[in-house]
Amino acid sequence: MLKKPPLIKISLITAIVFVLTAVLAGCGAGAKGQKEAGEARDYFKVGVITSLSGPEVYGGNVTRRGYDLWAETVNAKGGIKIGDKSYQVKLVYADDQSDPTAGADAVQRMITSEKVDFILGPYTSGVTMAVAPILEKYKIPMITGSAESPLIWKQKFKYTFGTIPAVDLTGSSPISTLAKDVQPAPKSIAIIGVNDPFSKAVADAFKAAAEKEGIQVVKYDIVPAGTDFTPLISAIKGLAPDILAVGGHEKEHMEVVKACKSLGFMPKVFLMHYGITTPDFIKNLGKDSDFVMGAAVWTPDVNYKDELFGSTKDYVQLSKNRWGSTPDYTEAACSATGEIFAAALAKIGATPPLSEEERDKLVQALEEIQVDTFYGPIKFATEGNWYHNNTGLKPLTIQLMNGEQVIVGPKDVRAKDPVYPVPPLSAR
Amino acid sequence: MGKPARNSAGFPKNRKERCRKMDLFVQTLVNGILIGGIFITIAVGFSLAFGVMDIIDFAVGEWVMLGAFTAFWFNHFLHIDPLLLLPLVILLFGLIGYLFQPVLQKVINIKHRSAALMALAFTFGLSTFFRGSALTLWGFNNRNLVTFLSEKSVTIFGVTLPALRVGATLFALIVTVLFMVFLYKTKTGMAIRAAAENRAVAGLMGIDSHRLARLVYALYAGLTGMSGIFIGSIFSVFPEMGVRYTAFAFFVVVAGGLGSFSGAIAAGLLLGMIASFVTVYLGGAYVFLILFFVLYLILLFFPKGILGKGW
Repeated sequence: MLKKPPLIKISLITAIVFVLTAVLAGCGAGAKGQKEAGEARDYFKVGVITSLSGPEVYGGNVTRRGYDLWAETVNAKGGIKIGDKSYQVKLVYADDQSDPTAGADAVQRMITSEKVDFILGPYTSGVTMAVAPILEKYKIPMITGSAESPLIWKQKFKYTFGTIPAVDLTGSSPISTLAKDVQPAPKSIAIIGVNDPFSKAVADAFKAAAEKEGIQVVKYDIVPAGTDFTPLISAIKGLAPDILAVGGHEKEHMEVVKACKSLGFMPKVFLMHYGITTPDFIKNLGKDSDFVMGAAVWTPDVNYKDELFGSTKDYVQLSKNRWGSTPDYTEAACSATGEIFAAALAKIGATPPLSEEERDKLVQALEEIQVDTFYGPIKFATEGNWYHNNTGLKPLTIQLMNGEQVIVGPKDVRAKDPVYPVPPLSAR
Repeated sequence: MGKPARNSAGFPKNRKERCRKMDLFVQTLVNGILIGGIFITIAVGFSLAFGVMDIIDFAVGEWVMLGAFTAFWFNHFLHIDPLLLLPLVILLFGLIGYLFQPVLQKVINIKHRSAALMALAFTFGLSTFFRGSALTLWGFNNRNLVTFLSEKSVTIFGVTLPALRVGATLFALIVTVLFMVFLYKTKTGMAIRAAAENRAVAGLMGIDSHRLARLVYALYAGLTGMSGIFIGSIFSVFPEMGVRYTAFAFFVVVAGGLGSFSGAIAAGLLLGMIASFVTVYLGGAYVFLILFFVLYLILLFFPKGILGKGW
């Protein structure tokens, strides 16, 4: 090093200083990230962070469809109305690759380079938890129209909200339907959970509810993602539980049903969350998907109204025309998520681009308002264990029948009686 | 899990309980073999490619994925049963591998201190490229491959044998035997083994290692693509499906001994057994922990692989 010509040394030091200055300056600008950045625009720039590649790409696209449909509908009607003027919405996408670390990087990049006004949040709970601290740093509000893990809300992030009630509020619904509304009531349950923050929370919720209802938990196992379910199903088959419950996503549920079928095992009912309401689950399993039970807070059959989409029925039709399949509760929640932001923006009368002060006001407005949407009334909790989660929606028990989601519980709202025990896979 | 009733329930229940435990043990054993069977075809090709060309192909899982998608396409458009597509896929992927190998060879031949590492980095990039392309080409939906064996299972003495998995394992064994015959009984096979052992000396004996490497890569790509049909129909078909098989292929080849053929088969079965027994008797959460602990022990005590036939 000592023998190097001084010229190279000096230029090297200059380069390092230059780079460091640039980086520090970049951080400074990013941390403020506000109107002074000099960007004048007459539209809202909305960030979408979700899984557009990686293992959860299917679910990521379910959320993207919901967000896209909101943006398209709002723009077709002129935009978000603030005062006398309407502002169009432009979505910019960031791919979290189904990986929390990649998600944190992607959202940081999106905030600093795109300078988005607010963010429509990730598909998975894992990514949501990784992204939330970054939003705290840059003070950008986000609502996730999908994540359901209760762990997110316990951390009390100021800038993160969620449209779907946490699974510890909803997951107990099918268990209590089974415990109370069918004869003879199931006595035992085996629970499988996939090892990610959401699926584990689902398995926990099932377990807690089963114990509360006096159903014996004969097996409780958390397995790594991408596992081969056959050995586990063999072990469960020997225990002959009445219910087989799985916490995971659509792919895992499909594989569990396939593994059960190939091993000739049939519990009296399958209980699965999340993903049985997605078009892929129903299409790929065909008749085998029938009678699978799950939890939801919304189905295409509920009846609510709002200004943007009209009735729930109108929304479902619009979505069917646009994407060619019936929307499930996550896709619909994502569309409703856009409506909440629009209502809060209208309330504070903020025009794009939003300053840091306006974004803080937006958070305050999100805490205060109640928005009636085609998804149902949405109101975020402002204290307690479900901080900033929309806890108001009623958890429903659903069961698939002929490829349709049918509400089978609670008793006072059900469309049909729950089927239990269900016909075996081999006899359909 | 509650303890099984012993004294209070009397002898019959006790015996039933014992039977149940025995059945579970045998079923777990069978499951292990059947899970391992899935890996054998991949392991054999992977091991050979490594032996002859020093290529650790990071894209091995993506060949599996592409094979599954190819079968899905033919099945979707021409309504041919995926299992009948096996010969077509091996030919198609063999051809792709044959045409593609020179590109890979160029990377290995560059004058670099660790050319093998360069090839590893190159195939890593390749795997990302394949995954991205599949996502663009086939979209994000999960697909299902339904074969004529999909719905069937046989129960013998309380042990259930899923027909599709049995088919996959039998097929893997047949392919392996044919392959062994090819390697040990034919002239080309002998040349391949010679090249795998010492390329320089084999070259001096007049063996064209470039031509052989192309042939081997073609075989490897064909076998791997073909196993995608079985994997796709047992599980489901999606762009990310291959990732787990890349990890398993590494386990199998390292545990079996680098470049060892029979070692790869034994390691494939060992992998299936560990996955099966650990899931049933300890819990699914421990599979990877124990798998890689076993791998550590193997590397420590049998650095040449479990059969001691690797390098």
